[in-house]
Amino acid sequence: MLLAAPCFALPETVGEALTALADRPDAIVVAGGTEVMPDLLWRNRRAAGFVSLRRVGALRGTTTVGGELVIGAGTPVAALTGAPDAGLRAAASSLGTPLVRTEATIGGNVVSALPYRNLLPTLLAGGATLELTSATGTRVVPFDGFVTAPGRTRLAEDELLTAVRLPVPTGFADYAKVGRRNAQFVATVSVAITCRDGAVRLAFGNAGPTPLRADAVDTAATALFAHRATAEDLRAAVAAAVDPPEDTIASAAYRRHALGVLTVRLVTRAQGAAA
Amino acid sequence: MTPDEVAFELTVDGVRHEVTARWSESLLTVLRDRLGVRGPKTGCAHGRCGACAVRADLGDGAPHVLCACLVPAATAAGGSVATIASIGGPDGELSDVQEAFLAEGAVQCGICTAGFVTAATELLETNPDPTRTEIEAALYGNLCRCTGYGRIVAAVEAAARTRRQQEAP
Repeated sequence: MLLAAPCFALPETVGEALTALADRPDAIVVAGGTEVMPDLLWRNRRAAGFVSLRRVGALRGTTTVGGELVIGAGTPVAALTGAPDAGLRAAASSLGTPLVRTEATIGGNVVSALPYRNLLPTLLAGGATLELTSATGTRVVPFDGFVTAPGRTRLAEDELLTAVRLPVPTGFADYAKVGRRNAQFVATVSVAITCRDGAVRLAFGNAGPTPLRADAVDTAATALFAHRATAEDLRAAVAAAVDPPEDTIASAAYRRHALGVLTVRLVTRAQGAAA
Repeated sequence: MTPDEVAFELTVDGVRHEVTARWSESLLTVLRDRLGVRGPKTGCAHGRCGACAVRADLGDGAPHVLCACLVPAATAAGGSVATIASIGGPDGELSDVQEAFLAEGAVQCGICTAGFVTAATELLETNPDPTRTEIEAALYGNLCRCTGYGRIVAAVEAAARTRRQQEAP
């Protein structure tokens, strides 16, 4: 442990981090700080201390193990802008600013679990799994279903997200989002796509309270990709599958429309890449 | 020291400090309010504007430019920070990037300038011949409400050109 104060711990290993968390049950786990620090500044959140993962070296970096990319939860988003997965690359490259991307981590993006987080649709479309580690061991769970409500996940109180696993990319992947302006914006809605051997898989951000996908949408998108259906069919399937929020940024009707537009755009890109 | 405080060591522009701060304090607050280091500016205080940009080694051996407002200060324990004061010479001499900002009229009110110079200096270290698009991408995290950015991009182009000419055999 590099530093251990009553309200602050700076562990160097996952084991030390778990111990520090057990000793400080009311502390927030902080990695990059890019969400937590503004939240505290604006009093959106109360906390009784920090357990910082910033110096746990084992959480940083990407390896390939048995056909999967294993991305340490503390890997900064900046490192993902050069990831082998094109969807992850696109989502990472449009997150925040260069000065935010060096600090923000993939783990923070996942655990913060807000509907507009950039990386979440990409992880859902890509079939990601998560490594959750506690003092008793590590379990691997699908990302699909991990987020239960905005800001809420299945992570237990004594667990840390230690890695995100994605199948090594084969085929096409991409990500698109729209926002209120063209710079430094969070997604009003977002869409991620993978296309492997003609099978299209889509996932949506801010299209419901949690990251969302639907078999009916993938069936319609796969048919459009193979020219067996029209763009109108796909837009209708998307509109039926999503349950977007209505807020001061956009109406639910606008979001439903924009999700259809982005979805067709991504399938068209996949066709272009396959041609 | 009270229970909500934490004590750690931090090197700023080559000077070692013993810091005692509240656990939630940002690196920016510690620099400005506790150590009197006023190069990094408080702009938005939530990572949008880049006025607080510094080059920091948070003890992981990978120094890089970041927003000091987003970093809990104690996570930098034992690390080092280089502010705008480390970019010029010890007696106030300006760096080539700073000279270019003045020559090209890239400075108006000045609150963003330290952040822009910090980000631009980092860019030229890694990419000595950036395109206009690459300059805009590298400075995307720095906001200026005076200049409209044209003079700032021109200053970075000028600094890059001058540096290449000086380094040419």
